[in-house]
Amino acid sequence: MQKDEIHTITFAAIVCLVCSLSLAGIRTVLLPIQVRNQRIDNQVNVLKALFPDFDPQGNPLSLEEQDSLFTQGRVPREWIPLYFDNFVTTKDTEAGPLYVLTRDDQTVAFAFPAEGKGLWSTVHSYIGLEPDLATIRGVTFFDHGETPGLGGECSKPWFQRNFRGQKLWADGAPVTLEVAKGRAEPNSRTQVDGMSGATITGNGIQRFMNNIFRTYNEKVFESLRAEATEGLASHG
Amino acid sequence: MAKNPKDIVLDPLSDNNPITVQMLGICSALAVTAQLNTAFIMSIAVILVVAASNTIISLMRNHIPAKIRMIVEMVVIATLVITVDQLLKAFAFEASKQLSVFVGLIITNCIVMGRAEAFAMQNPPKEAFFDGLGNGLGYSAILIIVAAFREFLGAGALFGFQVLPDSYPGNGLMVIAPGAFVVIGLIIWLQRTVTKKYEEA
Repeated sequence: MQKDEIHTITFAAIVCLVCSLSLAGIRTVLLPIQVRNQRIDNQVNVLKALFPDFDPQGNPLSLEEQDSLFTQGRVPREWIPLYFDNFVTTKDTEAGPLYVLTRDDQTVAFAFPAEGKGLWSTVHSYIGLEPDLATIRGVTFFDHGETPGLGGECSKPWFQRNFRGQKLWADGAPVTLEVAKGRAEPNSRTQVDGMSGATITGNGIQRFMNNIFRTYNEKVFESLRAEATEGLASHG
Repeated sequence: MAKNPKDIVLDPLSDNNPITVQMLGICSALAVTAQLNTAFIMSIAVILVVAASNTIISLMRNHIPAKIRMIVEMVVIATLVITVDQLLKAFAFEASKQLSVFVGLIITNCIVMGRAEAFAMQNPPKEAFFDGLGNGLGYSAILIIVAAFREFLGAGALFGFQVLPDSYPGNGLMVIAPGAFVVIGLIIWLQRTVTKKYEEA
């Protein structure tokens, strides 16, 4: 072997070794912080679905219930795990995790994760329900790669607020929630305003929200409703 | 071409700007300039990477075997970019989510590789550092100008703060990537009119 070939191989080996060792080191040091960030981000989104006006960026929390809980009115990021652990119980169900918000032994809200294809990417979301397990309390869409300004609007407050009070279940059966093309019909309880120029994202959101609600409904909510009715009857 | 550090840093800001004159790094300039925040973080990331990669490659320039020259440059750049990406994920989580793949794509940003090949391989570390700094700043200047226009016209905001009244409907073209093409085109036109430097056709 010629001398410069040995030099080339040695040089390449040293560069690779140094680079991979330093990357491994950096990753090891930073991983716990990154995992924590990811967890907080998930918790923030669960909280957003449970408290629709919750904004981790520091906007006031406007629901009356929250005022007494978050007396400062602003929630720093570091406190989020604390709030989460204090107010939210996570139940593992057949359909997936179910987050339950309770106050004074009363269930105030439920939330469950939902995700599905938009146009370019998987859109992640949490759907918050009122204790009736029928009315949407809040939704969040996050961690997606949809076109900014078009499908990306799904993570904007105006679009998410749109869902409040809409129904996924009525008169003893699931109803289909629709993301309208353009404006929703006024007073409709099952339609929300669509995002202009983002029909496919809207359709995707509509599809996965309804499907995942139905799965949860069948596997979890039916029995919860039955329990609630029994509870009422025994108090009777 | 013995230049003092000041010229090396200032030259790429206008006369030899990587985006508007060298026409490099256009892709990311379109992608991350819808808002000032993301453009700002991206700028810092690119400045760090170009300055550091230029310095490191310049330090190794007399030892890098010619045959694997570009691969070694690539490895150094990739290592630096992954480091920056990891740091963002740990300390600027929200921003890293918005920038998503574009931080990783700094690896393929022609400016970084271009400066390593064109400058760092022939010049000592100090000059190479300043060259990287200057080119990073030149890139950033355009990014910030474009982002300011796009955020202002597209959403009526600057750095996320609403500047125009809520009734401002927003300009949809500015929000999507083609809007950046228009703005960059106008900047290039303006710059060439002022400096009287034209491409030879």
